[in-house]
Formats: sequence, structure tokens, C-alpha cells
Amino acid sequence: MAILVDKHSRVMVQGITGGAGKFHTERMIAYGTNIVGGTSPGKGGHEVSGKPVFDTVTECVESTGADVSVIFLPARFVKEAAIEAIRAGIKFLVIVPEHIPIHDMLHVRREAVSRGATVIGGNTPGIITPGEANLGIMPDIAFAPGRVGTVSRSGSITYYVADTLTRSGYGETTCVGLGGDPVLGSTFNEILWMFEEDEKTKAVVMCGEIGGVYEEKATEIIPKMKTPVLAIIGGIYAPPGKRMGHAGAIVEGRMGTAKDKLRLLHEAGAHPCKTFTEIPETLKKLGV
Amino acid sequence: MRLYEFEGKELFKKFKIPIPESRLVRSADEVVAAIDEIKAPVVLKSQVLTGGRGKAGGIKTAESAEEARTLAWDLFKLTIKGYPVESLLVEPKLDIKNEYYVGVTIDRANYTLVVIASGEGGVDIEETAEKHPDKIVKLPIAVEDELFTFDTLAIAKQIGIPATLIKQGAAIIVSLYNMFKKYDAKLVEINPLVLTESNLLLAADSRVSLDDDAVFRHPELKEMGIEMRHEEGEMTPRERQATEWGIPYLDLDGDIGMFPGGAGFGIMGNDFIHYYGGRPANFMDSGGGPTPERLAKMLVLLDENPSVKAIFGARFGGISRCDDFAKGVVMFLKDHGLSKPMVMRMTGNMWQEGVRIFEEAKQASPELFKNVEFHGIETPIEEISKRAVELAKINAATPQ
Repeated sequence: MAILVDKHSRVMVQGITGGAGKFHTERMIAYGTNIVGGTSPGKGGHEVSGKPVFDTVTECVESTGADVSVIFLPARFVKEAAIEAIRAGIKFLVIVPEHIPIHDMLHVRREAVSRGATVIGGNTPGIITPGEANLGIMPDIAFAPGRVGTVSRSGSITYYVADTLTRSGYGETTCVGLGGDPVLGSTFNEILWMFEEDEKTKAVVMCGEIGGVYEEKATEIIPKMKTPVLAIIGGIYAPPGKRMGHAGAIVEGRMGTAKDKLRLLHEAGAHPCKTFTEIPETLKKLGV
Repeated sequence: MRLYEFEGKELFKKFKIPIPESRLVRSADEVVAAIDEIKAPVVLKSQVLTGGRGKAGGIKTAESAEEARTLAWDLFKLTIKGYPVESLLVEPKLDIKNEYYVGVTIDRANYTLVVIASGEGGVDIEETAEKHPDKIVKLPIAVEDELFTFDTLAIAKQIGIPATLIKQGAAIIVSLYNMFKKYDAKLVEINPLVLTESNLLLAADSRVSLDDDAVFRHPELKEMGIEMRHEEGEMTPRERQATEWGIPYLDLDGDIGMFPGGAGFGIMGNDFIHYYGGRPANFMDSGGGPTPERLAKMLVLLDENPSVKAIFGARFGGISRCDDFAKGVVMFLKDHGLSKPMVMRMTGNMWQEGVRIFEEAKQASPELFKNVEFHGIETPIEEISKRAVELAKINAATPQ
């Protein structure tokens, strides 16, 4: 079944006439994603890749029935665009750009929670349900339909993990990019629970990294799950105090190191993996 | 973006948070003039973008103007954790009766702001959290909510502020919270909030960290002279060069040059090298969609690093393209040349075109490729990591 998006999702693109918006709309359509239109204030009436452009999200939703949105806008415009979308009835939002002001993401999250919407990002490559929908910037090549879900704080790790699952025959139900920014639209918890309730997903691989406490927070939900959770965490050997790439990836003060995160996840019932090849090995042992 | 103590205190002043009288000085001579106005005994506080100043000898008390000048002279020669001391904040030495901690930060996983307070000021709050967690008061609050003094009055009482001053203490906490929201902060701390013998509450120190990604919408900070600054302390020459080229890069202490794509795999690739018995010489991220020129520069950093004995390269083209990757590597081989063994794997977006570019270049000039081992999607990245470790050992053992 997959989670959050499938071939029936009606996907709109906010910022569809911008460089990134246009480029990736074309790619997403080529994959077979059901893109129904997009917004760009002032460009209502135009078309991008044969899809209608509207001035506002409400107009787009009323005209196309869009229920999912992908945002390709500069960081400073994201908060308003996200709140507009959520209030117009969008239930799932993908925030691709990075460097969203932290306070803005707090507002976006509050709006999403109050209206029962799900947000992923900032700095996410997106989400893909192989064979049905690809939202964002992920390369098609790594993915194939299957039975394992993935949720990751890193885009590049998503590709390697999916590639490993694809080539070992497990395939993926849905792969979710949580994002690399410090404050994310969703935590592991919401996504893990969606996988738990998805019959088609027989196991989940969660990919974490140094910085923040998202992995620690996941220990609240993992013991409640029947679906096996595998965990791979980047930064076991990362030097403390140094920011490594993602805005959110820095071990600060006494905050959890990657070793601590992996240990806590293990204690909560997750199956730790050190390398990608350990993932299919572990799945086999678990009889997935 | 971390602010200097004196900058944080300027913001405190705007929000009517009481601070000691002070002068900012940039030379030992200026100190003497400052003491004329402030009067000894004074505290001389090095203004650097790092904590641990006291332990590093960056805070000194002077009983007279002469002593202050001598101490200042020494302080201006100091470098604290990679930050040279270029200014001092001169303040009167306070008669301290009690010290409190008050701060506001973000609970990332629970999506709230948090007001934190403690009756144990003057020490590291995380240390207090570990040793005396019962002595810490926390109030989570949603970013869209207003903090009222009736909320913070209870906090002021709990941390032991005397009855005659709890109203003022409550107001200080509210002001700190408002300041936090106004400037898009990640952390603001008054540690210690001092109660003097003469029953004054004063913010004796300031620590303010702002969200880099929101600085653009605070032009008033620029007007105050507060600009984006480099906070990495002491950068190695290579890190400095990488920064100039716009490449996220960190020098580490190993001998395997890391040339991966994506920050996430950059971090994990380094872990893999450790798992197979090697040590990375660096962390590096190419950023999404790097140009061939940028990729070539990345390789220059690695090849010219004398510590590097082998190079590990990986590219999983997502937003980035394998043909650009191949072009970058070929450009580097032609223009610069590879002096160490390199093993690399390339797959993803445009990989066939990337392979074609390599094959063509190799046919044309095979000697350029003599140190390059090239793999595609069929080789697991773990094998590439093992091979890089092996190559480094062989190269290190080979007499030069």
C-alpha cells in the first residue's frame, strides 16, 4: 500500500515556474507522478509541462483537487507557502529547500499539527513510492517496488540504503526523506507509526545521524511496534563540536553521540546495522 | 551565529535587562581610560566567540589601573581555543551574594521553546542538569505564545530570588524570552544572573546564539555592527582554502582522503573507513550538483595533502550528475595529475554518460589513469572502503 503518497495522490508544486520547480516537475511527471498543477503568484493561467499554474493554493486545490504539495521556493518564502497550503486543505507537504529559519519551522509544524497535516523537510530530497510517485529530487535508479520502508535524515544515505534493498530483492514500499535541517516537519515517530499501520511494509530501515535528539525520541515508539525496525546511524566516528554538512548534524554539548543513539535504539528493540550490507543480512535473519 | 558577550549585552540593554556598567576596549591603553570612568576594582573579560574563557585565563580581576594595564597587555596576547583576544569588556567587580541561571532555548524534538532557570548560576547548566536535575526549572512554551510575568514569577521564586526582587526577576525572564523571539535566537543565556550585596539583579554574562538562516531578516543587527562571522575558531590552511572555494571540509588526523557526495554519506563513509581499520584524513561534502570545476578542486585538496596515502571516491548521482562527476575527475587528472592511488565508485543519475567519459579519456591517455581503480554499481561501497584502507597501507609501506 505504501504511506503518504501513491499513484492516486494529486500532487501540486508550489514555485512551479522557478528554475528548480520547472526542472523537477518535468522529472516527476516523467516518473509517472500524478502532478495536477502548481502555483506561482502572478503567473496564474500559464502552464508548466502541460500542467496549469495558479496564483494561489486554494485556486489550485479547487480546480485540480490537489491534496499533496511539493515546495520549491527560496527558504524565506517557505513558512508562508506552507501555512497557505495547509490552510487550503493540503494534507501532505514536502519542503525541499534547506536553511529554513528555525522559528518558521516551529510555526509550520504547529499549523500542520493543528490541521492534521504531515510535513517533511526542510532540506529533504523528498519521498518516493517506487513505481507510483516520486516527489522531490530523488534519482529513480536506486528504487524498486517492494516490502521495506525507509525513513532517513540524509538524502545520500537514502539512495545507498534503497539501492541495497533493491539489489537484494527486498525493494521498498515508500522511502521518506525527513530532511537535514535542525528542526524538521516530522520526527521519526510519526513516519514509523505510518509504516507500522501499512500492511505492505514488512520492515523499516531508519537512518539517523549525529545532532539533535530525533533518534532518542524514536525510542518512545519502537517498543510499541510489531514491524521490525533496523537502524543505521552516521557519525559514529564524527569529532564533537564540528558541523558536518547538514545544519542539523553536529554533536553539541552532552547531546547524544551516534554511539549513544544506536545503543538507545537497540535497547528499545531496533536492530542496529553498521554498514549497508548488514541490512539485507539482518532482514534475512529476521525472516522478512 | 554566536554573539560576543558585549553584543549580547547591547541586546539585553534594548530589552531593559539590567547589566553592569561597562566599557569595550581594544588596547591596554584604552583600559586605563576605561578605569577612570568605571573605577577599580574591575574585571577584564576577553571577548571571544567561545566558552571556557575563565579556565583559559581570559578573565582577570584588577585592583588598580596599573594592574589592569599589565593584565590587559597579557590578555591581548592570548588566543583562546583558536580565537585571538582582540577586545576586552571592562566591568566593575561585583560583590556577589548569589548567582542564578536563566536561559531560553529550543526543544527541537518537541517543537517548543523552553525557558530554563536554576538557582545554581555560574556553572555549566548541563553539568547542573546532570548532577542536580531537581535544581532546574523548565517551562516549555509554544513559539506563538506570549510569556507573561505571572508565569515567570513562579520561576523566580523557585530558583530562590528574594521576595523583594521576584517581580524584577520575573520581568527579566520575560524580556529574555521576548528578545529570543525577536531576533530568531537558538539560545540565550544569562549565566550568572547576579544578586549583588546591595540587592541589585544584574546580567553578569551573556551568551547569545542566533539562527544563521534568519539573520537576513534582521538588518537592525547589521546597523548595530553585528555581522555574520566565522565561528570555526582556528582553521587549518586547507580548511581555509576549502572555505574560499565554498567546499564544506574538515581536516582529520588519518591518511585516507575522502571524496564522497552528500553530507550524510560523507559522515557515514568516514565511519566505514574506521570499521575497516583505516582513518579518514578529512570530512568533505560536495554539495548537491557540484560542477566539474568544484569536483576537481576537491581532488586537489586531497592530492596535495601530504598525509593522504590513498583516496576514496564515491558518487551516487541524485541531484548531482555522474557525467559532471566524470568530467571533474578527468579535468583533475589532466590539469593536475594524481600522485596517490584512488579507488572510486560511481552510480546514479547519468551514470552511463559518466562511464563513457571515463572510457574515452582513458583510451586517449591511459597513463593518467594508472593510479585509478574505477567501479560501478556492481561493487558494494563497503568493498570500496576496504580497498581504500588497503591502498593506503600499501602506499604508506612503499618507500617513496
